[in-house]
Amino acid sequence: MEYYLGVLQTIGIHALLGLSAYLLLLTGQLSLAQVGFFAIGSYVSGMLTVMVGWHIAPALMVGAIMAGFFAFLVGFPALRVKGLMLVVATIAFSEIVRLFFFNLNWRVQVDGLEVGPDSTQGFREIRYFAANGWEQSHVVVLIWSILALVMILLWWLDRVRAGAVLRAVGEDELAAQSSGVNLMMVKVAAMTAGGIIAGIAGGLFAHSSTYVDHHSFSILLATFAISYPILGGLRNVFGTLVAVIFIQGFIIEGLRFIGDYRNILFGLLIIAAMNFRPQGLVDGNFRSDLAKLLGLKPNGGSNDA
Amino acid sequence: MGFDHIDIIQSILDGVLFGSTYALIGLGFTLIFGAMQKLNMAYAAASIGGAYAGLASITILGLPALMAFVIGPVASGLLGLLVYVACFQYMPRGNHLAPLMASIGALFFIDEVIIHETAGSPLSFPAVLPQAYFFLGDFGIRGDLLFAMFISFLLMGAILFLLYRTKLGLATRAASQQPVASLLCGIPTRKTNATTFVLAGVLGGIAGCLVAASVGVLSPLLALPLTIKGLIVTVIGGLGSIRGAIIAGFMIGAFENLFLLIRGVNERDIYVFMLLFIFLVFRPNGLFGTAIDRD
Amino acid sequence: MLRLNNLVKHFGGVRAVDGVQIEVSKGEVLGLIGPNGSGKSTMVNLICGVFPQTAGSIELDNIDLGTKPPHERIDAGVSRTFQNIRLFDDLTVWQNLWVAWRDAPETEVSWLSDWFGSSTDRRVEIEKLLDFSGLGDRSNYKAKNLSFGEQRRLELARAMASKPKLIVLDEPAAGMNSEEVRDLRIRILTMKDLGMTVLLVEHVMELVMNVTDRIVVLNFGKKIAEGTPTEIQNNPLVQEAYFGFATNSGGSD
Repeated sequence: MEYYLGVLQTIGIHALLGLSAYLLLLTGQLSLAQVGFFAIGSYVSGMLTVMVGWHIAPALMVGAIMAGFFAFLVGFPALRVKGLMLVVATIAFSEIVRLFFFNLNWRVQVDGLEVGPDSTQGFREIRYFAANGWEQSHVVVLIWSILALVMILLWWLDRVRAGAVLRAVGEDELAAQSSGVNLMMVKVAAMTAGGIIAGIAGGLFAHSSTYVDHHSFSILLATFAISYPILGGLRNVFGTLVAVIFIQGFIIEGLRFIGDYRNILFGLLIIAAMNFRPQGLVDGNFRSDLAKLLGLKPNGGSNDA
Repeated sequence: MGFDHIDIIQSILDGVLFGSTYALIGLGFTLIFGAMQKLNMAYAAASIGGAYAGLASITILGLPALMAFVIGPVASGLLGLLVYVACFQYMPRGNHLAPLMASIGALFFIDEVIIHETAGSPLSFPAVLPQAYFFLGDFGIRGDLLFAMFISFLLMGAILFLLYRTKLGLATRAASQQPVASLLCGIPTRKTNATTFVLAGVLGGIAGCLVAASVGVLSPLLALPLTIKGLIVTVIGGLGSIRGAIIAGFMIGAFENLFLLIRGVNERDIYVFMLLFIFLVFRPNGLFGTAIDRD
Repeated sequence: MLRLNNLVKHFGGVRAVDGVQIEVSKGEVLGLIGPNGSGKSTMVNLICGVFPQTAGSIELDNIDLGTKPPHERIDAGVSRTFQNIRLFDDLTVWQNLWVAWRDAPETEVSWLSDWFGSSTDRRVEIEKLLDFSGLGDRSNYKAKNLSFGEQRRLELARAMASKPKLIVLDEPAAGMNSEEVRDLRIRILTMKDLGMTVLLVEHVMELVMNVTDRIVVLNFGKKIAEGTPTEIQNNPLVQEAYFGFATNSGGSD
């Protein structure tokens, strides 16, 4: 049981990370900076509960706000670089963040114990949940509640003008600008919101794993973060969630029995998926695809709402 | 930590020599990006993979040590071709995310195969001219790094010759600028791009072997840092600029070593990335950027 | 309404626009013609703020547009269509209009309501624009699934969605058959009736001669002629620019 709860935890956190990248991909920004914001959220919220004794809720919020603040700062120079250059710039940002925390040593005495980030040793003893009587199932509920909230918000975004404007920017910047869209505002807003979501995910991650170090925030995780929305498709939020469940749930956990071959299979599956469905697993015909899958409908429709 | 100007110049010297490998990797990324306006994330991994194949040829097949430096690049070239076919050949032209993602999948795949076959532990790689060490006044020059630099220059010259003095090079450049039109002109775009991948692969394989020889070990952990360094070199050099990639490679090598001397190994990379940021802010087109505005 | 004061644009050594002075009166349909390479597209991009001019100024209602980027020009009341159709392919017809939509200045719309609300008034108005454009039953179609003619009409509708004072049409008739050109002509005249000023950059003479009030002719970045369609047709300088020689008789298209 504990094992499955752990899987649910991972899926929830990775889904949030994926959604943060999804929001940016909508505006056409391929960002590997999400893991940097994730790290900021982790460390800041962790330090607040561990070293200052805060309650988890404000700690998570402040962690998210800090992450969002840095995302806001990153958003502006990000406007000036496109495509490959943005990829590299965001890699650089994430690496700088990772290395910063790798070197961060800030230890204080709390209840006779020395706690805090310990540079190369990482940040241990983030024991808020255990110390406050949270069961693992409670943590899972927390993570998935936040995930549900974020998904609802992003789903709703697509039903209002803001969502159409975001996607328009991702489609054709010149046409969007010439139709009256303020590119800077939209892209920076998207980056900031993405940063906030990643920051929350980071805070949840730090507290549910109780220990983070620089290994947790590598570029590898950043590539996972963009893999989910790309594999899942940018049509809607469910694509990202489906991709996370598929990768984390099915491949990494579900296929544990085939051992190391799992990882090899993973790479091959990505290659196969992109060749057969370059637009992503869940595209616009989600409802008809689902209906087809469940045997409720003979054909898919040609137009979708 | 006291260091004088001799230490500084020495570290820059070592850095420049080692930077020749970065230049090669950056060159490979640039060739592919220049040809297809797409990013091949699996490039460095394929280079390392080739080096592993080269190592296998001497440890498993018992071939003489020199053969590692022949089999390696050949294997990388083949891997490059495979990556092209698997991740780029059949992708719809306008879609940039799908081939990028597929190449990330290839990166994972190659890395994991290596880890699987070697149980994740580093293997020693034959060094080139391990004992050679020259003195130039107060400064020492490692013979193997000098050799690496020499080989790199040869290769760069060969690539430049290939691109600007041969029909294949002309076809590659035409296909990169106008893929549809060149197809209509009878240029076999697919074959040209495949050839580019193979060439870049061979280049990368040599770089991979040189890196492994200089460091003495091969480890799957090399792939990601090499990828990142290669990307930085490509961007600083200016997207699509061959000259830029070469110069930027040496530059990054030099700065990296300098930062290592001044701030130590834990902080070294922070300053390299800051250098990248400075470039992106003040010279987003890189050193010699051709202002390709596609993304 | 629109005044281009000695507008100059250099690209390196090329003088794409070389000191052009044009005045467009409110409510008129002004045609801008000239051989390929005469600077028409550059002019469109300058007016719409895609890049800044090298020298000279652009005034809309006596207000200098300065170096305003395109989205601020929309605020000022200038919108455009593109020569190569640039719709938001994966968005629906409705969404394409929605993105560009501006409510009438008198209506007080809060920021929140503008971005995240769904006002019925707005919906009614967008539907009206859709009907006008003959896209009423295509509202849920993705732009990429429309026919060519429908896409052209959508581009036009999107340019109208921001309620512009001045609308710049960049070769809207390219690739159209005669019937579509006739339809376009009626639309442009309707826009004029609705109070818009139209700057029509075009090659298709069938359209230009029959819908414009005045025509300005460019060649090599300079204005070489200005006048009514009839005057322009009979102008030897214009004939020379297009054909390389002038004819004695005034030709029809």
